[in-house]
Amino acid sequence: MVATRKQHFIVIDDSKLDCFIAEKVIRNTGKCESVRSFLQATEALEFIKSNIAEQPTPNIILVDIQMPVMNGFEFVDAFEQLPAEITKNYKIYVISSSINDVDLNRVHNYSSVIQFLNKPLTSNNLSLLLTKDHM
Amino acid sequence: MNTTEKIKVLYIDDEQNNLNGFKATFRFDYSVLIASTTEMASEILANNPDIHIILCDQRMPDKTGVQFFEEIRSIYPDPIRMLITGYTDIESVIDAINRGHIFRYIKKPWTDADVKSAIEEGNKFYLTSSLLSIKNSELQSAYDELGKFAYSVTHDLRGPLLSLLGALEIAKSTENTTELREIHDMMGESIKKLDEFIRNIHEYYNLKRGRLMYEAIDFNTIVGDTAALFKIAGIMDNIRFSVQVNQKDVFLSDEISLKIILNNLLSNAFKYQRKGATDKFVEVTIDANSESATIFVKDNGIGIHENHIKNIFTMFYRATSEETGSGFGLYNVKDALNKLKGDVEVISTVNVGTTFKLTIPGKPNGSN
Repeated sequence: MVATRKQHFIVIDDSKLDCFIAEKVIRNTGKCESVRSFLQATEALEFIKSNIAEQPTPNIILVDIQMPVMNGFEFVDAFEQLPAEITKNYKIYVISSSINDVDLNRVHNYSSVIQFLNKPLTSNNLSLLLTKDHM
Repeated sequence: MNTTEKIKVLYIDDEQNNLNGFKATFRFDYSVLIASTTEMASEILANNPDIHIILCDQRMPDKTGVQFFEEIRSIYPDPIRMLITGYTDIESVIDAINRGHIFRYIKKPWTDADVKSAIEEGNKFYLTSSLLSIKNSELQSAYDELGKFAYSVTHDLRGPLLSLLGALEIAKSTENTTELREIHDMMGESIKKLDEFIRNIHEYYNLKRGRLMYEAIDFNTIVGDTAALFKIAGIMDNIRFSVQVNQKDVFLSDEISLKIILNNLLSNAFKYQRKGATDKFVEVTIDANSESATIFVKDNGIGIHENHIKNIFTMFYRATSEETGSGFGLYNVKDALNKLKGDVEVISTVNVGTTFKLTIPGKPNGSN
């Protein structure tokens, strides 16, 4: 069943505008239970670690690559170190303005990352992703 | 007597008489170091990285000169190697020269003129190749920076543009005017970020290509000009800004570099304030005399975590996602300081504030 279960979203981006855009686009899909935005990946990680309550509802993480302090790759590295009973409840999508081959190839090396998405996030490409998603 | 201009030459021979004779003959023209064994020679080489020329006798007791050169070549590739030898060894010498180990051989018994011309030519070769390696490493660092540039341009120029595109898309379907205004404000921020990045690239270029133009500096004017720009932009609102300049004599420096430094430090001091703090301040204190200027830029803003301080001058490094920044500003500060041969210290505590202390030497009057 596709449309019946609503999902929780986590957006990680150092740009306030990009977080705002993502929140809007996500809410507009009508398939969203909640959206949380984090300007710092470290804070998102803390939240994920401590957030057992919302599981096992599907959780989707949209994470930017280039961010100060902890970038998207460092975030995914740290995420993959978390216990499996936490990580299994999340699906990570990397969303970036990067057109750098090294970045794009690096995304494929992470088993927890489902897909790379180009910015800006639009309702079209998000809806596509949600229907494709077998959750 | 000025010894620094003399070419440093190491002569290795097991005959003490030859060593003494060599030193006596050439000590006025060159800075001569002598060694009677190859071990001694290795030790001298280790302690004197500025040796330009090594002359070695082919027939040393423990090994040949060619063997010695082969041994030291990988450790000390720069000095020019010359072999001193009699005609009987000529086959091995030709072989060594052909294999590229030796720049020149001098036949025994040598004449002063032969040795002198060999040293002069060897030194020319030394200078050319060391200049080449300096140029090569400059080129390498320019390439590395270009690589970083290409990467950062995709992000720092493309990022804000794509945000604008996304925001426009949302604005299209928004009826609520309050929300529209909010979107517009954020779009404005995005444009400012883009503009800041472009201005930083311009500063970077000015610093890299520009020559220093020394003139008498009036710190009151420079700080005043810089602050005026922030005032117009409304960046200083609700921040107590104080300036104290104690300038005793004429301080000669490059005004453009100083402006870039102050502009970036002040911009950061105003920008990285604690949200909601009631007594925000930025203090500039400058003490200048003809020899040096000491500049303090102090704020009580968000501060920099100690883990990040060592990296803040790295290009594109950002220690916080509070506020927009290009990761360029402090790199440019450091670059400008390097050009002025100045120094910087950073004292910072998170949520207490940051102080940058700069020490910049003034250009001595009348010198070039």
